[in-house]
Amino acid sequence: MLCDQCKKNIATTHIRSSVNGVVVEKNLCSSCAAQGGYSQFSQNGLVNMLAGLFGDSYSIDSSKPNTRCHCCGASFSDIAQSGRMGCSNCYTVFSEQLFPSLQRLHGKTKHIGKIPLNAPSEIRIKSRLEQLKGDLKRAVSEENFEQAAKLRDEIRQLEANENI
Amino acid sequence: MGKWYCDSGASITVSTRIRLARNLQGIPFPSRMSSVQLKEVSQRVVDALLSASDEFSKSLKVIKMDEVDDIAARTMVERHIISPDFASNRSGRMLVVSEDESISVMICEEDHIRIQVIRPSLALQEAYDIADKIDNLIAEKLPIAFNEKLGYLTECPTNLGTGLRASVMLHLPALESLGEIPVLAENASKIGLTIRGLYGEGSGSQAALYQVSNQVTLGISEKAALENLLSITQQIIGREEQAIKRFDDIAVQDSVFRSLGVLQNARILNGSEMMKHISQVMLGQRLNYIKLSDKNLPMRLLIETQPGMLALQGEVNADSRDQKRAEIIRNALK
Repeated sequence: MLCDQCKKNIATTHIRSSVNGVVVEKNLCSSCAAQGGYSQFSQNGLVNMLAGLFGDSYSIDSSKPNTRCHCCGASFSDIAQSGRMGCSNCYTVFSEQLFPSLQRLHGKTKHIGKIPLNAPSEIRIKSRLEQLKGDLKRAVSEENFEQAAKLRDEIRQLEANENI
Repeated sequence: MGKWYCDSGASITVSTRIRLARNLQGIPFPSRMSSVQLKEVSQRVVDALLSASDEFSKSLKVIKMDEVDDIAARTMVERHIISPDFASNRSGRMLVVSEDESISVMICEEDHIRIQVIRPSLALQEAYDIADKIDNLIAEKLPIAFNEKLGYLTECPTNLGTGLRASVMLHLPALESLGEIPVLAENASKIGLTIRGLYGEGSGSQAALYQVSNQVTLGISEKAALENLLSITQQIIGREEQAIKRFDDIAVQDSVFRSLGVLQNARILNGSEMMKHISQVMLGQRLNYIKLSDKNLPMRLLIETQPGMLALQGEVNADSRDQKRAEIIRNALK
């Protein structure tokens, strides 16, 4: 595919912009892309994008602008401006304001996957249960009943232990 | 294990990289840390890594980044051991790196802990297993910031969840010259992966080297993320293999042997010219037109003749560097 602009070089940059619902797509070569200001996103560019992402939630927060994280001292406006958290605690302190942005960023807001060794045992059991239930569902849909029976037993045992 | 670029062979997959982002509970992220906290966190992470009785702990060395000069730091970026950010912000930072440089842990880069494992060719699971093991070693000793809902907590919310960034470096000369990379990149982005060019401006690449990596980290397990990446990587490899068949054999041979000729004879080689011809020679190897006694040589030369690596040998000005680069490559390919 040749560059839409110079029609000489091979297009290596695909740009898709959506402004007020109007989608424009362009395929540019690296030099035309750079001229158009579409050079590789620098670290700064990404930060600005992230900061933009928190923009909406920032305005929601204007009713209580004085809240600061007790661990690192960051306010939500610090986070919104930099696109970065101050510490791990900020996620709890500003959870309400962050939620919409995180959903937009990842599509989902529930972690699936590894849990650190130091996590409380109830979190580990809960996560294991969720995983087993997912596996059970899959085993049943695949009509793998032998596997399903094993999984069901394991789930029961875990649930019994959890209630002790 | 050897350095990744000394064992990359002559296939489409050059290397695999796994990165895990981790932080300690209750301590500000590096950009908001005091120098006292910086020192304390660095020491705690170093101690956790070195105190493990594991065999691999013994192969680790600790580098105080304060004692590393600009040129040496640049060569570390060129060898992919550290990030450009870590190279430019070295004050008080520590790096833990294995002897063969396949494992590196950047302490207080963007996050408190950045574990990186880099392996030659396609080895996602192998590389992940090593990173996972190191992660567990640290978590045995230190309280890791984690939230049931958001997973591993990171300074930048784009890494929340697994904190895992897995990537594969691919050599795609045929797809690139057919202009198919943007289409691939678009399709990959639909399933949460990105494709970007290495060694180039914009999204292109001077050496037809592209990096495919996962973007989404929250709501997807490590296993699923690695499987997605592997599946897309295999599809891209298949497409590259098909794509090369669309070129006229003799034209491809002509191009790869011309490049070999330039590399064997040139007296002055700048970086972009070198990368263009190295890429062609790699293609020639893949198609069995060119047989080198050391099949890893082209990729090794590409890394070892980067500006920082040459500057480390005393070649600080651009003209003498281009001559030195030509000399090293000429001698290696004699």
